[in-house]
Amino acid sequence: MERRSYRTDLWIDWCPGCGNFGILTATLKALEELNLDPSKTVLVSGIGCSGKLPHFVNVNGIHTLHGRAIPFAMGIKLANPELTVVVHGGDGDLLGIGAGHFVALGRRNLDIVVVLHNNGVYGLTKGQASPTLPMGVKTRALSWPNLQQAVNPVALALASGYTFVARGYAFDSHHLKELIKAAIAHRGAAFIDVLQPCVTYNDVFTAEYYRKAIYKLDEDPSWDPYVREPTEAEEKLVKAFRKSLESGRIPVGVFYVNPHVTTYEDRLSSVLKVYPKLNPANSPIEVSGKPVISAKAFERVFRDFIVYVES
Amino acid sequence: MVLEEASAIIGGPQGAGVETSIAILARALARVGYGVLADREYYSNITGRHSYIHLKVSATRLPRSLSYPVDLLVAMDAETVLTHFTDLTKGGVAIYDKGSLGKHLEEIPSVEDATKARVRRACEERGVECSVGGVLKYLEREVGVKLVEVDFGRVLKSLAETFKLDPRQLSRYASGVVISSVAVVLDIREGALSYALGAYFKGREGLVQQNMRIYRLVSSELGSYRGLLKLGKPSIGLDKVLLATGNDVVAMAKVVAGVRYQSYYPITPAADESLLLEKYSYVEDEEGPIGPLVVMQTEDEIAAIASAIGASLAGARSSTSTSGPGFDLMVEGISFAGANEVPVVITYYQRGGPSTGQPTRGSQSDLMNAIFAAHGEFARVVLASGDHLEAFYDTVLAFNIAERFQVPVIHLLDKFLANSLATTPIPDIDTVSIDRGEVFRGSGSYRRFDLSKVVSPRAYLGAEGVVMWYTGDEHDEYGHICEDPEVRVAMYSKRVEKLKLVEESIPRERKVGVYGDGAPDYVIVGWGFTKGVAIDAIEVLEKRGLRGRYLNLRLLWPFPAREVAEEISKVPRERVVVVEHSYGANVSSLIAMTTGLAVGSSIVKFTGRPITLGELVEALERVIVGGERRVVLSYGA
Repeated sequence: MERRSYRTDLWIDWCPGCGNFGILTATLKALEELNLDPSKTVLVSGIGCSGKLPHFVNVNGIHTLHGRAIPFAMGIKLANPELTVVVHGGDGDLLGIGAGHFVALGRRNLDIVVVLHNNGVYGLTKGQASPTLPMGVKTRALSWPNLQQAVNPVALALASGYTFVARGYAFDSHHLKELIKAAIAHRGAAFIDVLQPCVTYNDVFTAEYYRKAIYKLDEDPSWDPYVREPTEAEEKLVKAFRKSLESGRIPVGVFYVNPHVTTYEDRLSSVLKVYPKLNPANSPIEVSGKPVISAKAFERVFRDFIVYVES
Repeated sequence: MVLEEASAIIGGPQGAGVETSIAILARALARVGYGVLADREYYSNITGRHSYIHLKVSATRLPRSLSYPVDLLVAMDAETVLTHFTDLTKGGVAIYDKGSLGKHLEEIPSVEDATKARVRRACEERGVECSVGGVLKYLEREVGVKLVEVDFGRVLKSLAETFKLDPRQLSRYASGVVISSVAVVLDIREGALSYALGAYFKGREGLVQQNMRIYRLVSSELGSYRGLLKLGKPSIGLDKVLLATGNDVVAMAKVVAGVRYQSYYPITPAADESLLLEKYSYVEDEEGPIGPLVVMQTEDEIAAIASAIGASLAGARSSTSTSGPGFDLMVEGISFAGANEVPVVITYYQRGGPSTGQPTRGSQSDLMNAIFAAHGEFARVVLASGDHLEAFYDTVLAFNIAERFQVPVIHLLDKFLANSLATTPIPDIDTVSIDRGEVFRGSGSYRRFDLSKVVSPRAYLGAEGVVMWYTGDEHDEYGHICEDPEVRVAMYSKRVEKLKLVEESIPRERKVGVYGDGAPDYVIVGWGFTKGVAIDAIEVLEKRGLRGRYLNLRLLWPFPAREVAEEISKVPRERVVVVEHSYGANVSSLIAMTTGLAVGSSIVKFTGRPITLGELVEALERVIVGGERRVVLSYGA
């Protein structure tokens, strides 16, 4: 089979050395290795440097509003559950302005992958502190050390109910690619926190910093994040939480995978029996310009609202 | 005396069964052939505060408006008697609970202080004691009202004995007493009542039996009052009617329109529509399956609009329903839909603002919000509906416009319509069409925003062999970010200019409905729920020698400037009267802006209660005969 090209020919306008290049490379590689059909794959992004990523990838791309990539993706996925839907968003996007949606997706366990571009700053607006920048840290553009505490993305994802939670590093494309592939293969809401240097505005959490701080979870042969039996879920979740709170060195890899939680698609099919086989995108709504519901059917369907007069 | 039509108020504490009462009574009345229009007034409260139904029943037509004074007052509690005793007509009927007789205004904690002062003033002006007994005595002596006393307690006690009911559950049956006493006083035949009870309590035969037992108890107690208010023989001539609220009608229309994705965040008075849609989200009819419709309760209104846009991109007809506060949150999403030419429908039920305002009261004060909210310029369409039947057809039209022209469409309704129960002709489904617009069926190099057409053929996400991009940034034909000035001008103009195509495609009568005299003395301009009361007022004034015309604006944006200008030019400008549930009579500004013509007069109401017939007739006379330019209405508790 001919190899597909997953790269558009657009010039990439990220700063030279930007962590986004690594995330893009991993994304392209993952799509290639999974051989996903571009017309059945949708990348959905928010606003900021990360938001431009879909334009560089030759699959359907929806570059949405700041913070709202997840609800856009949800509508797409619910309407056409056959599509592979991957969200790319920055830390300000997914954990600041869009944090409510981030939590809600976990609750739903809808089959969507969320890739967090975590660089600690709002790059495109010149380097303000993002929700993942630790308190007391002063990056280049700040007037004084950050006064707000950081949110822990992995812990938040675990608490919200994501059933696949991982962390990767932008400049370890091979490792990140494998995480993305595993996240796409997972049924349910999947989250990957990607540590990403911002060469222009984050002069604290640099590539050099990460090179020293990062270690891989699977270096420890006893690390097993997979919930094999539903009864293991609590124990594995607690372990993942504890791991997410580790300070000093930064673990990357898979924190938690629980395939035993029903997806939103499953839950929906318990009330809409025909779903997802019959779904909003493939069910007919008209026949030659007429509604699928005839005048007679209308009276049958809505009989509770019709009163036959007996004078 | 036999009445052609009768008005009534049925009141009681929120949660005590007022809504159940009207659902069953309206069905019984419709069964016999009467027309009913019933507005529901209530506080933002779950139990205890004063709520009431204001209704009109007609033997000769489907009522379009509500009227004061009322012929019948039905009071489940003391607060209803005291709040509404001034609403009764001479010679009317008051049904009340014997148990409430001793209650004094000052002892009722649920009455707001301002309302207490108002009621106290009404008592003082009439020189009556502000107690249930006091005002009833006054009504009987001075207003000729016939008093019908029902001992709610005794009826319910007897019911409890017969069916061995837990006394704590008895309050559930109070609605049965209300329904039964009204049925006796209006002389509704028993068969119609048992039919209505059976339909309402479908599958709960016990409740039907118990309520019929209540009916017999009340019937024997009130035997001498049977037909005290006698309605004429029904002559409307419909063999079947739809009995539904505005929320219900819009939901039914969405099912017919083929909506496949509906999102919502709970808000009054929109949420009921989505709840009903859940019930009909998939139906296996004998002619084939209908649906599935995914109804999604989102985490907020931002997610509601965003996910509706997402579903639309994937090819589902999609919509979201909300009210003012929710719409405000959706505005950035609407701007995205405009920029990306995404068909999406927002059903917008107005309530009293600003801010939380009056969450359960009606208003038409969001006209400008619906038309102008959002940054940048782009085509959007705003529709309004004058009654339940129009709301049905306009709902379908909204989706057809949205998909044919790839624009966001806002269907602007209000709480009055949403919550009023009405008998309506069955919508003619055979006349309904579905227009999905031009869909791209090819494969390969696809340009989503093909500039060779104002409306570029649309492909759905997932279409075989097709890849597309969307972005909120200015973009090229493929949907990639592009800031080139020439592309900017071409794309921007395309999005704005399609509004002209929308305007040309909509037939005149769907833009502006005209009623009344073609050579009028005065012209009323309104939109939405004012339609019924305006047309009725014109009829009343015609008998007094004034010929009026009503313009029912159904297309609010693009504004039908030419059609409106032609109509309002028929009379001097001070005889053009805008009637609106707002402070600003805001449609006047829209007319001035689009036609250059200044509207001379206005009649407005912003108490949160609907404009009623008597007050509108009086106000119109003040404007047309008396020369007043602005009248502010306020009647109704």
